[in-house]
Amino acid sequence: MTDTYVGKADEANAMETLGVIGKGTPRIDGLDKLTGAAEYVDDMDFGPALLHAAVVESPYGYARIKGIDASKAEALPGVVKVVTGKDFPYTFGMYMKDRYVFAQDVVRFAGEQVAAVIARDARTAKKAASLVEVDYEVMEPLLDPMKALADDAVLIHPDLEDYEHVPWFFPKAGTNIAHWRKTRRGDLEAGFAEADVILEDEYTVPRYAHCAIEPHVVVARLDKAHRLTLWTASQSPYTQRDVFAQALAPLGLSHKDIRVVTPYVGGGFGGKAGVSMEIIGAALATVVPGRPVKVRWTREQEFTNTYQRQGVRARIRLGAKKDGTITALEHDLYWDAGAYVEYGANVVNAAGLSATGPYRVPAVKIDSLCVYTNLPPGGPYRGFGYSEFHFGLESHITRMAQELGMDPVEFRKKNAIVEGDTLAYGEAMNPSGLIEAIDKTAAAIDWGVEETSDDPTKAIGKGLCLFWKAPAMPPNASSASFLKFNEDGSMNITVSGMELGQGYLTVMAQVASEILAVPPEKIRVETPDTDRNPYEWQTVASHVTWSCGNAVAAAALEAREKIYKVVHDARGYEEGSLYLEDEKVKCDTDPDFELPLAEFVVGGIMMPDGTYRGGPIVASGKFMPEFTSALSDPETSQGGHPNVHYTVGAAGVVIEVDRDTGKIHVKKAALAADVGRAINPVLIEGQITGGLLQGLATVLYEDMRFDAQGRLLNPTFTDYKIPTSKDVPDQIIPIIIETPQPDGPFGARGVGEHTMIAAAPVIGDAVADALGVRLKEMPITAERVALAVAGMDD
Amino acid sequence: MKHTIEMNVNGEAWAVDVAPGETLLEVLREKVGVKSPKIGCERGDCGSCTVLYDGKSVRACLVLAVEAEGHEITTLEGISHDGLTVLQEKMVELSSFQCGFCAPGIVLSVHELLQERPDPSADEVKEAISGNLCRCTGYDPIVDAVLEAARIGPGDRG
Amino acid sequence: MTIAHDFAYLRPATVPDALAMLADHRGAMVLAGGTDVVPWLRDDAITPETVVDIKDIAGFDAIDVADGVLRIGPLVTFSDLIASPVAAEHVPALVEASHTVASVGVRNRATVVGNICSAVPSCDAGPPLLVYEAAVEVAGPGGERSIPVLEWFLGPRTQALAEGELVTGITIPLPGAHGGCYAKLSRYRGEDLAQVGVAVLALPGNDYRVAFGAVGPVPFRAPAIEERLAGGGPGDADPAALDALVDEAISPIDDVRASKEYRTHMSRVMLRRSLAAAAARLDGGGPPYGEQVI
Repeated sequence: MTDTYVGKADEANAMETLGVIGKGTPRIDGLDKLTGAAEYVDDMDFGPALLHAAVVESPYGYARIKGIDASKAEALPGVVKVVTGKDFPYTFGMYMKDRYVFAQDVVRFAGEQVAAVIARDARTAKKAASLVEVDYEVMEPLLDPMKALADDAVLIHPDLEDYEHVPWFFPKAGTNIAHWRKTRRGDLEAGFAEADVILEDEYTVPRYAHCAIEPHVVVARLDKAHRLTLWTASQSPYTQRDVFAQALAPLGLSHKDIRVVTPYVGGGFGGKAGVSMEIIGAALATVVPGRPVKVRWTREQEFTNTYQRQGVRARIRLGAKKDGTITALEHDLYWDAGAYVEYGANVVNAAGLSATGPYRVPAVKIDSLCVYTNLPPGGPYRGFGYSEFHFGLESHITRMAQELGMDPVEFRKKNAIVEGDTLAYGEAMNPSGLIEAIDKTAAAIDWGVEETSDDPTKAIGKGLCLFWKAPAMPPNASSASFLKFNEDGSMNITVSGMELGQGYLTVMAQVASEILAVPPEKIRVETPDTDRNPYEWQTVASHVTWSCGNAVAAAALEAREKIYKVVHDARGYEEGSLYLEDEKVKCDTDPDFELPLAEFVVGGIMMPDGTYRGGPIVASGKFMPEFTSALSDPETSQGGHPNVHYTVGAAGVVIEVDRDTGKIHVKKAALAADVGRAINPVLIEGQITGGLLQGLATVLYEDMRFDAQGRLLNPTFTDYKIPTSKDVPDQIIPIIIETPQPDGPFGARGVGEHTMIAAAPVIGDAVADALGVRLKEMPITAERVALAVAGMDD
Repeated sequence: MKHTIEMNVNGEAWAVDVAPGETLLEVLREKVGVKSPKIGCERGDCGSCTVLYDGKSVRACLVLAVEAEGHEITTLEGISHDGLTVLQEKMVELSSFQCGFCAPGIVLSVHELLQERPDPSADEVKEAISGNLCRCTGYDPIVDAVLEAARIGPGDRG
Repeated sequence: MTIAHDFAYLRPATVPDALAMLADHRGAMVLAGGTDVVPWLRDDAITPETVVDIKDIAGFDAIDVADGVLRIGPLVTFSDLIASPVAAEHVPALVEASHTVASVGVRNRATVVGNICSAVPSCDAGPPLLVYEAAVEVAGPGGERSIPVLEWFLGPRTQALAEGELVTGITIPLPGAHGGCYAKLSRYRGEDLAQVGVAVLALPGNDYRVAFGAVGPVPFRAPAIEERLAGGGPGDADPAALDALVDEAISPIDDVRASKEYRTHMSRVMLRRSLAAAAARLDGGGPPYGEQVI
């Protein structure tokens, strides 16, 4: 691949008339998914040689392993092998190598893998796992990040200073602080001195679970030729390959030996990013060479031993002038990051760079602390830290407006960040339609119009909050694509982004379709296999439409140039006079000329003498944001360019609350997001509807609850309630704003995660509006509302 | 303690050897090779394993395979033998799905509803699929597709 | 994960066959709908050597009325009850409760009898059967007996069935004209286990029956409340006095589903609303059955 095609997306942007871009093109994976043809990892057949593994988990949050006796398990007929931490004394991790394949001498969370049994069938594996005897010395777990910060707190990772990590992390050896992101800009003291009102308070957000309906599953096989193949339900085939290669390097495995295949995946939401339980499959395969081995998480394990969204305690101090100008913000975020932070520390980092929210704040001090606790590992979850800090920040913004006697929407508009404003880390804000988003959302919920319920026991309230989010990526996170034409003029495109449900394959087909004038239904975009498909960092950060879209656009433009060159070579037309339309090459200067792609894109064009010109049209494209840098001053975060751009927007709700029961009914929810360019508006509306509901659930009823040992009390859908079809708002109004992103494909930027970010504060505001009760801890359950109204809360 | 059970799966007669502890879901997936019923929670909470059992939706994870002796099981594969149902067509057309994992169960729950109530209200649709958890779509696009399919009617395709 | 426990599966065709199998295999687990039994097996919460599937027993799936008594067979599912015109006519509050049980795919399988045999404190069939003064018909080694539902529930997951006994049905004396209501507190509109269940029957002459679920070790009737209400309209009782009686009647716990405080608060609220709905329904008004009052 050369650099020739970088930036060619700009050329695509300039195309004036668009065919499929901006249309609600039906998804290209529709038939697969509605007929049962779509194959997920657990649906794949591996034949009678397939082995099954069951994992022995720690029942304690913090304990020393004194001994493991696997003899009874090993004696059970059908058991092939039992492995423990002794067999795999390796650490792994994405941004920091602090996680163990199996616990070594210490377990750091309840649910951590201590041993595994490989057996010929799942039944035997389960039985045998229950026969493995582990002798623990139970220790007092640290479950609260504030306690873990105490001077005399036990060190959960005494070896912290030895862990390898990315250069933008700043662990504090001798403490439980795995990373501390400090952002400083402007004169904070002067900012607060200038303020007429200073408001300070604390907000609490608990942990949450992703709850993709497909549990994590991995099948791994090390064949006798030393080739390790993994079939994983994952968002991150290439990142997984990289992490596996690093972790298993002591066994002599390198990148070329490892192949990760990821067919359709049944939802991710961040939970299937990076590597969590898949490392177990990779490791187990190495002890049973030649045999595939499957590890499939139960729903309970899905809750307790993948990633969880981290809890956070926020302290906010905000200053503003009487005229409504924000003068200063101090925002401390104490993250309950869990036992291992190899991925979660980057959530902390992202929040620490952006915890001003989408506001112009002249003086900023943000401290975002990643604190080890004896709870399951925190990690990426749709919203990546932003959902968490927006709850406190947006609640606080509304309260400040009320303190100032201003309308909260007016206050927000006055301080809303616009293109060119300086971000907390010193760079300039990208183009943004935030004001338009606010106005349209306010109009959609009749902001300012008071409504009363017909039912005297109920009150109606409204809320409107803003959101923003940038992809959190390493500065060199990149995407690539391969494109090839088939004999009939159809195309196969290979990429390594994941179709998580968002419609990525369809969007990639639309991008290629637009440039090459081939309809999307004649394009297949294939799911990843790291042997065949080109590189993609991961499908996270809502970045693939933008990043991989650019890579596909680059490949399509390269293919187009090749097509023009063949026609030029064979027919003599100037390349500049050619264009593509309706699957044909046409010419500006010769209206009579047209050549269907199907006639030459593989076989070439025949010359008068019977010889041919051309040959199979194949192309590649790549994209990397070459302007980003994670290098900055650790004390201030000034000097780098960590984020590519922010997607902004607003959300509003109208709710009806029952004063007696506390039950909240969402009558209307509107959400406006500036997507740059809506490549497929139906898919964006799908993101808004689904994301909003996921966000509303985090504030209305979802909540992970732990006992004193750090054991999850509600590891099932029986008691971790995710929304059903009966729990949707009466009306959802999706609003698409299009302020083009100059470096995005056709001007597009990402929107997947953003749709859930503002849901929590907007409910908090609406409850306060309806009942005059301000709840500062999530979730805002019916129970909390009712007890607060009745004066029975503590 | 194996039992040989005879059951009808999607119109085909099957005789399968099962142990009493094997669930219908496991047997369908592993011994009959029907993969559209998915394993999501294995305790009846999520509805991913929904199949029609003598025409009624049940959770295949809550049925022991031995119980299915003499019964008729229909999965997603079985309702579209003769091409897509109108419901499936509408769900494709309106992009009423995302990751697709819950789709087989939802289609079957709605199929049962439409057999009993060809012209359901939105609330009846929501009731019918309330046991099928979907984490992606927010459900509205599914309800829209069902109402649209009901409006058109099944024609001769059931 | 899969069921690891090994057991034998038996499928009797008659009640005597079933009783013989239960006698031969002590500790055998009876299987009807399986919606509780199968997950319990998977969790190793029960480890029976034998499972006795009663689904082949003729007549067990019937709902019928004879001699002033409504009889619900042990294989009658919640869906059957919802679809039954007889049930809708005579025991509308039990049908209302049936609608709140899980969701269609579970209700198509889960039986009313199984619900009270599992006897979890939150069982939705418990409070309505208590106010309808149902009895559980049992056959066993010592012959047949009829256990009033009032004496059925003994503790969490414990009921009055003795070793070797089999439930052959639930009988309910036809209550005549009445208004009923089952209110269920759940964390959202979707399926959930009750955090509080309240069943109320309003009978002509300002006679009331009240039962609670999920706020004590077993579902129970509340006679002190019934006495206080007797003779007056549903809104006549002093609210504070009624609240105090509720507080005395219930013994809620704190758990992951709800706090003791909220259960207490909601027991009061739900009693008030259920009373009003039941009384209004007796008079031919009120919200239609199935429409939750909270």
